[in-house]
Amino acid sequence: MTTDKQKRMRIYFTGVGGQGTLTATTLLARTAMDAGLDVVAGEVHGMAQRGGVVESVLLLGGWRSPKLDFGEADVLLGFEPLETLRGLPYLRAGGAVFSSADPLPPLSVSLGGAHYPSMEEVEAQTRRVAGQCHFVPCRELGLKAGSAQAGNTVLLSVACASGILPFGVDALEAAIGKYLPAKLQAANLKALELGMAALRI
Amino acid sequence: MSKNPLLDGCRGERHLLLGNEAIVRGALEAGVHMISCYPGTPSSEVPDTFRRLGGEGRYRLEYSVNEKVAFEVAAGSALAGAMSLVTMKHVGLNVAADPLFTAAYTGMPGGLVVLSADDPGCHSSQNEQDNRAYARAAMLPCLEPVSAQEARDMTREAFRLARELQQPVLLRTTTRVNHMRGPVEFDDLPSAQPLVPFERDPGRFVPVPAVARKRHAAVLGIMEKARALAESSRFNTERACNAATRLGIIASGVARNYLADALTAGGWDDKVRVLELGMTWPLPEKRLVAFLEQCDRVLVLEEGPALLERDVRALAQREGCKARLEGKTDSFTELGELSTTLVLRRLAEFLDCPCPVKGGNAQAMELPGRPPNLCAGCSHRAVFHAVRQLFGDDAYYSSDIGCYTLGMLPPLKCADFLVCMGSSISAGSGFARASGKTVVAFIGDSTFFHSGMTGLANAVFNRHDIIVVILDNGTTAMTGHQPNPGMVQEMLGEGAAHLDIEAIVRGMGVSCCRKVRAFNLKAVTTALEEMRAQSGVRVLIAEEPCALYARRQLKKTQPQVAMVKEQGPDAAHCLETLACPAFYRDGEALAVDESLCTGCMVCLQVGPKSFKARRRDA
Repeated sequence: MTTDKQKRMRIYFTGVGGQGTLTATTLLARTAMDAGLDVVAGEVHGMAQRGGVVESVLLLGGWRSPKLDFGEADVLLGFEPLETLRGLPYLRAGGAVFSSADPLPPLSVSLGGAHYPSMEEVEAQTRRVAGQCHFVPCRELGLKAGSAQAGNTVLLSVACASGILPFGVDALEAAIGKYLPAKLQAANLKALELGMAALRI
Repeated sequence: MSKNPLLDGCRGERHLLLGNEAIVRGALEAGVHMISCYPGTPSSEVPDTFRRLGGEGRYRLEYSVNEKVAFEVAAGSALAGAMSLVTMKHVGLNVAADPLFTAAYTGMPGGLVVLSADDPGCHSSQNEQDNRAYARAAMLPCLEPVSAQEARDMTREAFRLARELQQPVLLRTTTRVNHMRGPVEFDDLPSAQPLVPFERDPGRFVPVPAVARKRHAAVLGIMEKARALAESSRFNTERACNAATRLGIIASGVARNYLADALTAGGWDDKVRVLELGMTWPLPEKRLVAFLEQCDRVLVLEEGPALLERDVRALAQREGCKARLEGKTDSFTELGELSTTLVLRRLAEFLDCPCPVKGGNAQAMELPGRPPNLCAGCSHRAVFHAVRQLFGDDAYYSSDIGCYTLGMLPPLKCADFLVCMGSSISAGSGFARASGKTVVAFIGDSTFFHSGMTGLANAVFNRHDIIVVILDNGTTAMTGHQPNPGMVQEMLGEGAAHLDIEAIVRGMGVSCCRKVRAFNLKAVTTALEEMRAQSGVRVLIAEEPCALYARRQLKKTQPQVAMVKEQGPDAAHCLETLACPAFYRDGEALAVDESLCTGCMVCLQVGPKSFKARRRDA
């Protein structure tokens, strides 16, 4: 895979508190840094951790602002489909979306008051603005790899394998080996493979 | 990768660090001796990182009971000659403002750095106050990093200045800086730094009026020295891609980042000359005037209130600068956070260029919200449920700062007003006296130690009429389970001692005091019924470890979970009044998500006909 070190790219991550969105952001940031790219990541902690939305950003190639506005993200990584939909305004027209297809209904939905959009609606809305999008059963594949959290690595793997990022799956694999604790390696490497396979389908 | 690069990393190494971790590294590279804090988002990862590292004897760390105390401990330590760091969130500096102003008068020979982590946008705060104002009011040099590298560099520089000037230095950050990650290049850690021996000098260190008047003048002199340092500070930089341009921008704080990205996005780098301020107080006036003289028009970019803009306007007026000054407008306001888009729009206006911002592309959609909520198995929910069932809307609920502020949400609705950290008992006392209504005040264990104790003493002293519910979950839950005096001794370790809340309450003269398990609804309700029948200061201590803390730190496992045994109105009532996040609807049926249920069994007590316990699946 060719790697364009000069490529400036802004990635927006969104998910639900407790899912591991920030850990995934940091792993991808380290992957990018080891690939020789200028890296800035931004995240918001605090009340978001109590089951709220967790957003973070990763800027590659020399951007400095650790916060994105609507229409600024080249890539959206959604770790939960409703949050992918909520985060869509951040995507620039024609940007790429990689999203989990496994809903985590918010309390308002699980208590029966609010309506969770169908996956068809989520995909249709996404296709309207995205140049390309991939919805992946991350939770299912993560569990297959060893844990629900490994589903995050499935999604990172899909994004790396797509060729859109300025580095490939090999860089992510090296970062998993270097930065994740030994006991999590096997599941995450398996998740990496499942992610690559999911993109080929 | 070494185990703790923050502690083991050497000169030339580069690591990806959180802004707050970079502050820790900078302090270590300066040779910090003593750190005190009160946790608060977005500052908490600074002390928590020091705690995680342990320090190998390099430094002492303490979680103080509040910011004022933390500041005073750090001040005493700096008077004794130690390089000292005190960390807090922006509103914490209000609590510490009294010692802050006086510490600035006497000076701090060992070197005192004050980290104020501001929260524009109120990500997890009750206001957007801008603590640059404290640098101006209290006379403190101020540094404002905007990248992880600068967080490390400026923390180190802050200690250097603090020792050189003997003046406390304000290290002012904002949420986006504390919680950004970027590569940081390391230097070696120094060998142990010497203390500055304390020399008795009551004429300086005991600010009776005659001393204070003299010190005021001395501090003005010190700040003029600081200004001279700001004139040549490497953190104040100027650039002009095109020497001929007469358009200038002065940027400070996180606006520097948005400016850089906006200039790139607009392709406007050669249209302007830029002065970036990293050491933001005192202002390098000569440099600013020289910059203004090169410009016909100057735009001042800063997040929050127009502090810098006003100061530059005053300077320009005093020095007779001809440049036209611009800054905040009706659409470029002092509210919330800046963004690249906002700065792009402001720049387009300033440069009279078409704005390249296209804006969002997706249509507005009505999506179900995902507000923060009390966790499944949170002991606060059990107590709020009992209180609401008993008092309903007949009582008024005085809330405080912590996870339990979320009790404001329906169906629990257990927060009617909140003033600030530790205010529940005192504000509740005043509300009850003025209104004659029943007031129930809620306060957590850490907040009780922070500043609830004084409110309780006052309530007893002034014979107030109030029911106080101390929600004792055994930890500082909201900010990430930091130690507080209420934490059990085995979790505190040898460096700290447990204080017993009940003994404190009784010691303050509260005779009507009961302690119950929060998950025992009957005990909570019975105690509150008794208290409702009485008057004066009544205190209920509801104990139960925070669910996250119990699982992660105390390593408690609960082999049983709840399940629905009978559908119907009883089960629906439980869902509607308890609203536990572990409940969900499966079609028309109510069910309990085993992966979320912690086995608190509060639902079994609310709806005994509808729920039962079962063994957790393997």
